[in-house]
Amino acid sequence: MTERSIQTCFVIDDDIDDLEIFAMALQKVDDSINLRSASDCTLALKELKENVSYVPDYIFLDINMPKMNGLQCLPEIKKIPHLKDVKVIMYSTSSNEELKQTTRKLGADDFLVKPGKLGVLVNHLNRILEKPKS
Amino acid sequence: MKQKKEGHATTLADTSERLRKSEDRYHKMIEEVEDYAIILLDEEGSILNWNKGAEKIKGYGQSEVVGKHFSIFYLPEDRAAGMPEMLLNEAKTNGKATYEGWRVRKDGSKFWGSITLTALHGQDQEVIGYSKVTRDLTERKLAEDQLKAIAEQLRKKNEELALSEERYHRMIGEVQDYSIILLDVNGIIQNWNVGAEKIKGYRVDEIIGKSFQIFYREEDRQRRLPQQLLAEASKSDRSIHEGWRVRKDGSEFWGSTVITALHDERGNIIGYSKVTRDLTEKKLNEDKLKEYVHELQQRNEELDRFAFAASHDLQEPLRKVQTFADLIEQNPGDPAAVTRYVNKILTSADRMVSLVRSVLEYSRLSKTVSMKVETDLQQILSDVLTDFEVQISEKNAIVNIGPLPVIRAIPQQVTQLFSNLIGNALKFSTGAPVINISAKKVSRDDINCVSEFLFALEYHEIKVSDNGIGFEPEYAEQIFSLFQRLHGKHEYSGTGIGLSLCKKIMDNHDGCICAEGRPGEGATFNMYFPILKVPA
Repeated sequence: MTERSIQTCFVIDDDIDDLEIFAMALQKVDDSINLRSASDCTLALKELKENVSYVPDYIFLDINMPKMNGLQCLPEIKKIPHLKDVKVIMYSTSSNEELKQTTRKLGADDFLVKPGKLGVLVNHLNRILEKPKS
Repeated sequence: MKQKKEGHATTLADTSERLRKSEDRYHKMIEEVEDYAIILLDEEGSILNWNKGAEKIKGYGQSEVVGKHFSIFYLPEDRAAGMPEMLLNEAKTNGKATYEGWRVRKDGSKFWGSITLTALHGQDQEVIGYSKVTRDLTERKLAEDQLKAIAEQLRKKNEELALSEERYHRMIGEVQDYSIILLDVNGIIQNWNVGAEKIKGYRVDEIIGKSFQIFYREEDRQRRLPQQLLAEASKSDRSIHEGWRVRKDGSEFWGSTVITALHDERGNIIGYSKVTRDLTEKKLNEDKLKEYVHELQQRNEELDRFAFAASHDLQEPLRKVQTFADLIEQNPGDPAAVTRYVNKILTSADRMVSLVRSVLEYSRLSKTVSMKVETDLQQILSDVLTDFEVQISEKNAIVNIGPLPVIRAIPQQVTQLFSNLIGNALKFSTGAPVINISAKKVSRDDINCVSEFLFALEYHEIKVSDNGIGFEPEYAEQIFSLFQRLHGKHEYSGTGIGLSLCKKIMDNHDGCICAEGRPGEGATFNMYFPILKVPA
């Protein structure tokens, strides 16, 4: 297994099942990665803003969430000064091309469609996390 | 005696001399007159005498002409007709004859002569000759002729114009499809055609002399639209306008109007022509078309949103079924895990079923399918509450219902409406729910909902309020969007379709719905049904 510099990931998703599946997959990729999660964008933003010392390597962001959705949340994350180098990966059931374009314009680094198999998700995460950090 | 004789002779001589001198002067006077030919004729019409005027006018010298008959001055045709003799005879009989006509000069050229022939009488009253005074009035004659010619031309032109004007009047007068009217500079109606009567309903005698403002709506008159249109026509020669106009009976038509400024030869405005066409049918068709287009656009947008949301929300439970089935496959030796994942699969499947049902319900809410009938809301609500009996008693809920009206509605849809709202009120509660349902009449101006479809003046306001968890005011509009949820699926179950269903039901009833709420302080839903004035 390649040596990784990645230590922490943050995932924002209102779906408890999806959070569980994501945690399972990430553990399979590298069980040393620290994962924190939030089920609500408002709460996530509050935590990320207040905890200045917490700078995750990646933030995985669901799109379809109650109240503030991922598209509204993304620019808010990008505004947080100490998170300006953090890679934000959209994480959604939708595979809509237009939506992908929109998130790219808003500053997302990648777009991960939630797959139907755990193995597929593990492969995607491997691909994303192996990319050298720019 | 001699003296006397001499004296007498002297007197006679003197007299004779005086007479001779006087005659001389007289002769001279006549001879020298230049502007009149004054000649003396004997009783036969031969020339005895000639003056300067005659020479000047007729071109002959005295020696050439004395002894000749005066008919040499006449045109051959006049001579052939015996005119000179006739004139002599007339003068002989009546003492004088006057005549105007073309005469011939010595050189053959013509002049217009005005003559007076006067008979001279001897002692016994017998005619001894004639004086003939001729004046050359050629210039006057030519001028007169020219004037006559001009006058004749003018008369003909006038005749033609009158004919053309009459045809023109007739043409305009009988045009039926256009109102063609003439206004003076102040917009006062001068002229009226059949088309105007047909379109606007006034007869000629009712409308001539009135201002054309009478055809405009009160609000257009107040904002001075008629004056503006005249002003624009004055400035740019014409003004074009389309808008609602008022007929005599107060009904309205959609008029397309062209006002054209009319100018005199110096460019001053002398009035306006106003041509109006009744395009009501075209306008109504256009409006209907616009409405269709608008409706289609809305449907399309709705479909787009629907397809987008459905692709997401319907995929989600399916994907979970796949994932958990995959996990079961990977953990065959772990019965606890298998049971857990099977349960998750069942939950996802349930969710899928309820989503598909709601989507179906939503898509079935079409205006055309159901007819509106007189619907007793009191009855509808009591049926809905019967369906919720179990939940109401489980949650110790209190439902207060004020008197509710009978409205024109689609019964199945209002049932669904109340069912969703009561269901929400029971679901989004912490303690024992208290639900109040009341109704009152309000005017359109009292409605705070954002809606572009409020056409009635009065509405039934139906208020459903609860003491539940409420919501942040900023989500008051969003909650009616398809698949929009304010809570995680694990906090409160639901598809996110319920309130968008309510909104669509209110759209179908030409009404609207909106919500007020505060977190922890409950939610209130206000619905507005139009009160239609049914014609007697």
